[in-house]
Amino acid sequence: MKHHAMLVVLALCAGLLGGCAQFESKRGVEVNWQQDVTAKLTRGESTRANVLALLGPPSQVIALDGETALYYLFEQSEGEGLVLILYNRMRIDTRYDRAIFFFNEQDVLTEFSTLIHEPDAG
Amino acid sequence: MPAKPAIIACTLLACWLLTACSQWRYELGAPLPETALPHDLSQQGISLAQALELLGPPQRMSATDSGFVLAWEHWHIQENSIGVSLGALGADFLSADWGEMRVSGEFMLLTFNGQHTLTSAARSRWDNYGGGGQAIQPFLGFISVVDTDDLTGIMPQHTWGSSLLQRLPGTLNMASNPASGQSGLQQRGTPTAIGQQSLELE
Repeated sequence: MKHHAMLVVLALCAGLLGGCAQFESKRGVEVNWQQDVTAKLTRGESTRANVLALLGPPSQVIALDGETALYYLFEQSEGEGLVLILYNRMRIDTRYDRAIFFFNEQDVLTEFSTLIHEPDAG
Repeated sequence: MPAKPAIIACTLLACWLLTACSQWRYELGAPLPETALPHDLSQQGISLAQALELLGPPQRMSATDSGFVLAWEHWHIQENSIGVSLGALGADFLSADWGEMRVSGEFMLLTFNGQHTLTSAARSRWDNYGGGGQAIQPFLGFISVVDTDDLTGIMPQHTWGSSLLQRLPGTLNMASNPASGQSGLQQRGTPTAIGQQSLELE
């Protein structure tokens, strides 16, 4: 009888206890556009060489008519899941840290904007 | 072995072997600011600097003949499915599946001229049934009743550097590839069988 009870408990554990999952995926360039870094850049003065020296190679270079834009992207996905055999739930949250810099024909920085995602509180 | 524990054990074993309800939730990007309404933007004729200040860096960008275009997006995808199969036993001789997908989100598109002045703005929001289906598949499961792959893929900027290393049809059509940043942009889920990517024969 004790053996049977143990079997039932094991089967119960296998059936009712599922599992959980957590994963993370990161793609893109290193995030080097923190505020203390971009504070060194000045519109109308800084050059494309300055930006490349500070941030490194971009994800994308876009040629505009006489101008250029450098686009930096870091993509981060975080997933968490509940695996209960009969009910499974996965949630994947993808955020994009990014920065864009515009340069005129003289390679001087005209506009830029940056964003670093702040994790949700709690 | 007494009958009752054996039945319980068999029932639980069956539960373990059968696939059941699955829910997937995808959150892509962050919601756009409510204050950034397109008609307000275009009426004011704002500059690129003001737009970037208001919305932050865009997620998509491309050059155009008269300037450039910037886009911001946010997607929320819900996928629900229920399936029963004996695949875990290695006996995938019959599976029954049901699934559906719901897609909500928003997309904002701003175009600028060469002087960095806003020339047009558009914003759309949607909350739609994104498809689904049912299937009973003996022996082999060929069909996935819900497909979210084209909506949850990585951003095109990641493949920009390798754009000339695609399959030959893709490389030959590079001038029309939205991942290049030179020939326009497209939203997630845009079919590639028609339009400027149809020659890539995907």
